[in-house]
Formats: sequence, C-alpha cells, structure tokens
Amino acid sequence: MSRAGEARGRGSRGPFLRAHAWLIYLFLYAPIAILVVFSFNKATQTAVWQGFTTEWYGSLVHNELILTAVRNSLIVGVAATLLATVFGTLVALALGRYTFRGEGFTRNLLYLPIIIPEIVVGAALVTFFGVVGLRLSLVTVVIAHVVFSVSYVAIVVRARLSGFDRSLEEAALDLGARPLQTFWRVTLPLILPGIVSGALLVFTVSIDDYVITSFVAGVGATTLPLQIYSMLKVGVTPEVNAVSTLLLLLTVILIVIAQRLQQPPPEGVRD
Amino acid sequence: MRGGRRRATLFAALVLASSLAGCGGGAKQEGAAAAAAAHEKKLNLYIWSAYMPQDVLDDFTKQTGIAVHFDLYDSNESVLEKLQSGVADYDLVVPSDYMVRILIHLSLIQPLAKDRLRGLENLDPRFLNKGFDPGNRFSLPYVWGTTGYGYSRERVKGTPASWAPLFDPANKGQILMLDDMRECFSAALKFLGESINTRDEKILRKAADLLKKQKPLVKTYNSSDFENILAAGDVTYAHGYNGQIAKVIAANPGRFGYVVPKEGATIWVDSVCVPAQARHTDGIYAFLNFLLDPKIDARIINAISYASGNGAALPFIKPEIVHDPAIYAPEEALARCEFVEDIGDATELMDEYWTEIKAQ
Repeated sequence: MSRAGEARGRGSRGPFLRAHAWLIYLFLYAPIAILVVFSFNKATQTAVWQGFTTEWYGSLVHNELILTAVRNSLIVGVAATLLATVFGTLVALALGRYTFRGEGFTRNLLYLPIIIPEIVVGAALVTFFGVVGLRLSLVTVVIAHVVFSVSYVAIVVRARLSGFDRSLEEAALDLGARPLQTFWRVTLPLILPGIVSGALLVFTVSIDDYVITSFVAGVGATTLPLQIYSMLKVGVTPEVNAVSTLLLLLTVILIVIAQRLQQPPPEGVRD
Repeated sequence: MRGGRRRATLFAALVLASSLAGCGGGAKQEGAAAAAAAHEKKLNLYIWSAYMPQDVLDDFTKQTGIAVHFDLYDSNESVLEKLQSGVADYDLVVPSDYMVRILIHLSLIQPLAKDRLRGLENLDPRFLNKGFDPGNRFSLPYVWGTTGYGYSRERVKGTPASWAPLFDPANKGQILMLDDMRECFSAALKFLGESINTRDEKILRKAADLLKKQKPLVKTYNSSDFENILAAGDVTYAHGYNGQIAKVIAANPGRFGYVVPKEGATIWVDSVCVPAQARHTDGIYAFLNFLLDPKIDARIINAISYASGNGAALPFIKPEIVHDPAIYAPEEALARCEFVEDIGDATELMDEYWTEIKAQ
C-alpha cells in the first residue's frame, strides 16, 4: 500500500503522502478518541451518545474499588520504578564500562524479557513463586514488574552511556577526584536524563500492565488494569472509559517527558 | 456469571501454567502456621465484579469481627490459575458450574464441613446435586442465570417465545450469536428439541447443518460486548447471557426484552467453594453461614440483581427482580433448561463441526 502510494506520489508527492499519513493516524487514534469522547457520554450504555456529562469522573472519586486499585497501581508503579531503575542503571554501567567474556551474550540477554511474550513471563513467574513458596501479594506484583522492566532502564541508560565522553571521567580522576566522587559528580549527572527517561518508561509500563499482573496478583493486589478488566465483565460502563482516559493521559504525559529527556544533550553539556 | 471473554488466550496460558505449576511445592512447613491462621479474624474473597455489595460485608465484619478482603476476577480461568499457583491466599471463590467440575477434578477445592453449616435447607433444590458436583460436597449455589436472547422491542412485534427468530431468514443481518461453540450448539439443539448434552452423532450433524444454514443470517459472532451491540441498535436479536442483557434492559426502559425460549436453553450457576489451601477456616464457615441466612442473601440479591441460589430468600427479594424474566427465568422455560455437561469424545466432533461452520 505504501509502496503504491510512493510510486504514484512521485509526480504530486505532497497531497497523496499527506492524505496517506492522515489516514494512518486516523486508524491509529480514532478508537482512542472515541473512548475519550464516550467517557463524557451521559448514557450508561456506551454505544449510544446521549449528551455531555462529567459525572463519570465525579463518580470515580467515590468508587472505593477504583480508588483502592489506583492506590495499588501507584504503590507498585513507584516501587517497581525505584528498584528497576537502580538495578537497570547498575547493569548498564557494568556493561558499558567493562569488557568481559560473554559480554555480547549478556547484552543480548537483556532484550529477552522484552521479547518473550508476557503470558510466558507471567506463567513462569507464578510457577517460580509457587516453587519458592512466596505467597501471591502486592510484593509478588512488584517483583514481577521489576523483572520485566529492568531491561528497559538498562537499554536506555546504555544508549546514553555509549554517547558519553569518557575523557570527562578521566579528567576528574586526574584532577584528584576519588572514583566514587567521580561517579556522583561527573558520571551520574551526565547519564541522569537517560536514567530518568528509563524510570518514566518503567512507570508507564508498570501502570499499564495487565497480563503479567493478572498471573501474579494475590490478596489485596488488584491493580487498576485488573480492576478495569473485571468491571468490563459486567459491561463497558462510562466509568471504565473515564478511568481509561485518565490512565491514558498519565501515560502520554510520562512518555512525552521521557522522550524529551532522551534527546541528545545540547552541545553545551558535552563540552 | 458466564462468559467466553479471553477464554482462548487464557486457556493457552493455563495449559502452560498448569503443566509447570503442577510440580511446584508450596505446601511445606505450613502445619503450624495453618493452625494459627484458622482462628485469625480474616477472610479473603476472590469473586466476580459486582457480585457482593460492600455494605453487606461491612455488616458481617461488624457482627463477627472478621475483616473481609476481596479481589475481583474477570474469568473462571483466573480462578483456576490462582488456585493452581499454590501460593494464592484466597479463602472463598465463586466459579461457574463447569469450572467447579474442573477444580474438583484437580483437587483444588476442599470438601465442605457440612456439620459447621447452618441453613443448608434454605438452598434451592433445583440447583443442588448437579452433575458438576453430585451431592454438593464442594460447592453451594450462589447465583444462577440463563443463556437466551435479547431483542429490540421497537423492531419486534409481540413477545417472542422461541428460538425460531434466530434461525428465520427474514431476520437476515439482524442476528448476533455468541462466539461460543457450546452456546451456539445449545441454541440449535434446543430449537431441534434435543438435549444440549447429546452425544449422538446424527443429532449433532443436524444441529451443525442448522448452524451452517444460519450463518449467512448472522451479522456477527460476539461474546464479549454483545449487550452493547444490541443497545446500539446494530442487531435486533442478540443471543446472550441474561445478566448483561438485563443491564441493557434496565438502562433503556421499555426498549429491550429478554427471552428464555420455550424450547429451553442453557442454565449456569456460580457456586461458593473453598480452595484446598484456604486457611482462615473460622472466617470461612462464619461467612458461609452468613450467606445461608435468607435475609442476608436477599440483601445481596437486591443489590446485585442476579437470581439467587438461596430459595428461602425469595420472599425478601424485590418483586421487580423476581418477576424480571431477564433475571429469574420463568418456571416453565426453566424446566427445559439444562446445564452444560462434559460430553466426552463428542466434544471433538462438535469442535470439528464448529470449525466447519466458522470457516464456511
């Protein structure tokens, strides 16, 4: 389709390509736009528009179940982000700094948790918890989220490290800074944008995760996506649309921040 | 509550999880801990969404001092997965009939200590001693419902009473069928006057032919949001579970109706069960006895609008619930309803026919 578009577009490139792009964006975003629109729908059945209202957002605030789920999701998100960010950064530093046997293999291994289907990760984790006798709870959810998100941080931070001027560290050491001082005052500030964007990515993925969480959640560990799914069972209510819209908004904000931070540092910082 | 949502995906995961989880050994040094937990004032409930009003739980806690915590699930397969993990601390679960059978078979739920239960006689005998749990050794019926069809009152004259409109060429493009093999075959078999659990090859063939002939009339096969498609007016007739259609009817007064066809339909019951590993024994039996109280049960039913497994609760349930055919199936239709049973090898045959129908 795109090839045909290109070939035809050679003569009058602009309009065709533009229309094509708009169609693709429409395809991608129309369902989401509809979800957002229907979160303001007066009707209790979602498929029919019956007028504008914000009452679903209001009733969310009084929905104890949703509030508990939001709290659980935030606890998991924050805990998983902190842990995964620390571990992921350390992994990235080790991989970026040292050369050792099997380095390539170790590096590729990092991508595995991202590539393996979530359902497999979920089944594997729940089996693992069963074998070690760890009761399913919010703790197991946090562990699971750390497992699949360490890689994100490690990959993002490693990318940052690869564009990183080693001579700055050497200069600091030459000028008498101890290794730890060098790390805190030179290395860390330079890779910080990578760490923060990795962390935001983890938070987004954690807040959204359904499949793995559904496997490893136990007593008192119903997160927001699990809550939404169980509510869907009794029909898509506008409340679900409202909470999904808020979730979407949070995710978009975090992703935008993460992308800003991932852009290469301005020249001034490098010099 | 019945539903095929994500059944296929989860099933794939479960096969995997079960083959792996089966070898896990979570139950080691638990003897002493279990004894202590039995008297702990706690209860962990794992239940469908919108199945238990909070104020009833609050009253239970007030009465007994037992704190109830509950988590929600969205499919029977979630219950299976949690119990199979061996490390989930749930004390009570509420799976559907077919899942109760599986849980018993896998020894994932424990026999009930009947001597600790008061008010068993309150339970509706129509939902006791069924094939999935003979003698109710493991399960107590909680709520039940049927699979019939919803229809638009604006487009249908009179009140339909049969499966016939769903097979009528005059309704081409106006029919939604559940995307569920057993439910579709049940509709066809009942329309033909047969049992939904027949293993007879000739009868199954006839039902399959009927479904094949029906296919061009069907606008869509859907078991996840059929109620919304009906509500939006995209179809006139929607084969579906009563609970969801009852919600459409309630949200759009006078515009929709629900039929349990006179030929009969499938019936489901969700039952309260105690996982094999459940530990808060005192809390469990206190809560089961609480549920067996007809007045308490009626309060729950009045809040959640499902039909109760507690027959003695009937006088205390709001008349508009009891007389709603989308909640309480009429007696004469109910007499011809059947539970979906395991049909053994005939499943394979049905599978084959279903593939034929869907591939057509």
